[in-house]
Amino acid sequence: MAEPILQVNSVTKCFGGLTAVNNVSFEVQQGEIIGLLGPNGAGKTTLFNVISGFYAPTSGTIIFNGKDISGKPPYTLADRGIGRTFQVVKPFAGLTVLENIIIASFLRYPKRKEAERHAWKILENTGLADRADVSAASLTLAGRKRLEIGKALALEPTFLLLDEVVAGLNPTEADKTVELILELKKQGMTILIVEHIMRVIMNISDRLVVLNFGEKIAEGTAAEVARNPLVIEAYLGEAAA
Amino acid sequence: MKDKSIRWGLPILLILIALPAVVQDTFFLRVITEAIMWIGLALAFDVLAGYTGYLNFGHGAFFGLGAYTTAILMMQAHWPFALALPMGGVLAGVGALVAGLPTLRLKGAYFAIATWALSRAVQQLALIMDITGGPDGMRLPSFLNPQFFYYLMLAIVAVTFALLWFLLECSPFGLKLKAIREDDQGAMALGLNPTKLKMQAFILSAVPTGILGGVYAYWITFIDPASTLGDLVSDQALVMVVFGGMGTLVGPVIGALLIFAFKTLFWAYLSDFQLLYLIILGAVIALSVVFIPNGLWGTLRGLRSHKKSEEKKDESLAAKLPQNEGE
Ligand SMILES: Nc1ncnc2c1ncn2[C@@H]1O[C@H](COP(=O)(O)OP(=O)(O)O)[C@@H](O)[C@H]1O
Ligand SMILES: [Mg+2]
Repeated sequence: MAEPILQVNSVTKCFGGLTAVNNVSFEVQQGEIIGLLGPNGAGKTTLFNVISGFYAPTSGTIIFNGKDISGKPPYTLADRGIGRTFQVVKPFAGLTVLENIIIASFLRYPKRKEAERHAWKILENTGLADRADVSAASLTLAGRKRLEIGKALALEPTFLLLDEVVAGLNPTEADKTVELILELKKQGMTILIVEHIMRVIMNISDRLVVLNFGEKIAEGTAAEVARNPLVIEAYLGEAAA
Repeated sequence: MKDKSIRWGLPILLILIALPAVVQDTFFLRVITEAIMWIGLALAFDVLAGYTGYLNFGHGAFFGLGAYTTAILMMQAHWPFALALPMGGVLAGVGALVAGLPTLRLKGAYFAIATWALSRAVQQLALIMDITGGPDGMRLPSFLNPQFFYYLMLAIVAVTFALLWFLLECSPFGLKLKAIREDDQGAMALGLNPTKLKMQAFILSAVPTGILGGVYAYWITFIDPASTLGDLVSDQALVMVVFGGMGTLVGPVIGALLIFAFKTLFWAYLSDFQLLYLIILGAVIALSVVFIPNGLWGTLRGLRSHKKSEEKKDESLAAKLPQNEGE
């Protein structure tokens, strides 16, 4: 097998006394879609923040394209090819949707005109073109989640981290976003995606990694993971609580 | 959306260039010179306040740094004004670099308080040092040529305006600053380095402010810690920018003109009630924050674009109607 695009090696992240991510390891191959599962508070978002450079790991390393990127700042990692969305969306609320995407486009297209041209392409691809001139603050939740994806894609990433981009959308909107993700997969994008909606995650992921209380409790295909007693317990435990 | 108001720039500049030929009265020329200076100070303040989202209550310290640098170089080192003045700008820029390292990590009120405290420290330094003349201040050689100072002030502010227009409204830099203002974490994920951009904005704000301080020193011929390093420069620039419209370049110009006109009239007729002036200044800022949070210019522009989008809606509706009939 070729060298993996991402290697997470025994990563631990503590907040004071709380271990949010505990000794987690897995690999992502070029072109794969990996679903990251786990109950609320399992440490999925924290792991995203470590991979994308928002937190340095307390211990362990992150290898991206063969290079150790642990502790590198997010803007450096964006340049290296890591694009991410935020579960709690972060639109530039006072700016228009177009301006939001233009700002993201500056990374690959430093000139204003070219950035704007590129931004329009992204707007078309993400179905936001008709909202281009409205302020990002006036978008619906579905629009804002779309904008998150649009901004990440404007970076022309080679590796995409999607944190609950479907959650909270109505079925029609959700289908549209799933379609977009499948289109990206077709184009060969490597994706690590957090999503609670099973129908979605089972559909699009090649493999799953399951976290519970910060630890990796299972890894494998959807069928393998669904049979895993630890996974069943984690989810039933949550349902019972 | 690009602001088209720049097309007023050239005619206004031409009128201002011709003005001294018409206005012979030196008092009036002085007033206009000072008005132009305040436009420059408000513009520079807005780089950080409006575009980047950081209220710098130490803005006045850059003004004073420029004033004192120019004065000291002229009086102690016997430099010509033409060389001393740019050094005022350079030193203000270096000051921004030094002050920015610790303070630009802070957010919101903490940044405002830290910059205010630093500017108080600078004022204390000027009060105790020999080279600055302590509380007695410094006297500069008088160069009695109102036209010279008018044109110098005009040139510096016009160049500052043009430079800021280019950097903040036309080139990517302005949008990048706004991204940081809106959400610095989100901006980082898009490849922007907030620390670097904020520092650049801080220096961009400080350098013209320092140069204006240098011109002021030579023009007024007397500076002391109370008048040049007090709170007034920061406070007044803040009111001008908030009242005129933060995060725009036209807003600070309008705000500076109105507030300065008010100040001049107040001083002329009610100079016994200086405290009242500060109270009114405070009221203006409180009222504009509550009632016109986007300032005069932001509010006007909002109304205009609202009207335009209404018109557009009507048009698109009109365009659709015949089609609907055909269906
Ligand atoms: N910045 C932080 N400071 C302190 N605790 C945090 C922080 N971020 C997350 N946590 C804690 O870490 C744990 C994992 O959170 P998170 O990664 O958001 O979970 P998930 O995304 O899987 O729902 C939770 O207990 C959460 O409260
Ligand atoms: Mg989460």
